[in-house]
Amino acid sequence: MVDLIEAVQVFILAENRLLREALTRILSKKNDIKVVGASAFAPDVVEQVCSAAPDVLLSDSAAVALSELRLVTEVRAAIPGLKVVMIGMDADQDTFLRAVRDGIVGFVLKDASAMEVATAVRAVANGEAVCPPSLCLGLFELVANQNTSPASFVIKHNLGLTRREQQLVHMISRGLTNKEIALQLNLSEQTVKNHVHRMLRKLGATDRFRAVEICRSPGAIA
Amino acid sequence: MNLLGTVCCKSLDLIWVLLSGAEQEKLSSTEMVVQKIRVLVANRPRLMKDLVLATIGDQPDIEVVGETQDEAEITELVERTRPDYLIIALENPEARPGLSGFLLGRYPEMRILALAAERNSGIFYWAFVDIRSRHVESSEQGILSVLRNKAALVEI
Repeated sequence: MVDLIEAVQVFILAENRLLREALTRILSKKNDIKVVGASAFAPDVVEQVCSAAPDVLLSDSAAVALSELRLVTEVRAAIPGLKVVMIGMDADQDTFLRAVRDGIVGFVLKDASAMEVATAVRAVANGEAVCPPSLCLGLFELVANQNTSPASFVIKHNLGLTRREQQLVHMISRGLTNKEIALQLNLSEQTVKNHVHRMLRKLGATDRFRAVEICRSPGAIA
Repeated sequence: MNLLGTVCCKSLDLIWVLLSGAEQEKLSSTEMVVQKIRVLVANRPRLMKDLVLATIGDQPDIEVVGETQDEAEITELVERTRPDYLIIALENPEARPGLSGFLLGRYPEMRILALAAERNSGIFYWAFVDIRSRHVESSEQGILSVLRNKAALVEI
């Protein structure tokens, strides 16, 4: 009786031809991985990937850059459930976090071996995420900061709050009264009330605590 | 085939002619040793090295005589293994790596293929009076063509 292994279907998107060809060769030797397509970046690459219907998309940074950083978002929208793994990457925190925000589930460094790429394919297909240990801390810190102190840039960009108003949100979330806030910021209590009133109007909140909830909601923070 | 390989083949032909019929028959029945193309792989990053090894590792006419990711080990490995080809990593294709000039000056029979992970072309260096170089496509076929002396080289 032969156990049939359902192979993970992989599409390789990479500008470097050697990477496409050799990685296809390596992965094709695995009996649980099947390469269903390989391509350099092209204007119709999303259509190519859709046609191949892979479970996992392996992409190098060059291909993503050529798409003006929209590739991951576009393919994930086109193929729900597609797992995107970046390969051959530098250990750069900003690039990593941006890719995570776009929805990747795997980030493999250029110093990883070809076998580790295969392991990453299996892991993400199995519902896991692949993150280099050197970049994990940044991810933990990002989540921790989002829970306690909403990202100022995002609040300002998405909700139109000034820096002072963002500061008030943070202080209100700690339970401070207008009087206590005024003392800490060396302002009059009336000035603080005016700021809070303006903030509530901008957010469409009925009270100060509702304002904090709005700033912490998933829609407010990308 | 490079000069060394050509000399070896012609020597084998001469030896074959000088052997008696019985000796020829004996040798025919045993597996003839084919002179393989000897390659030393010294690529970075690690994924790139694995890809190069995957490209040439299965080829019956190519033998990997050593591998390293540490540039400091290259000279010693070349001295020890005396490969026909050295495949190395290349950061800046416009500037010939100093190591290439040094190695070709010391081992003029060896040839060097320099590949960069982020580029689709590499550079092939060899010594002929002075050091010559050509662009080579960074693909499986490009690499194998260079190693088998059949590359369609693009002049720099």
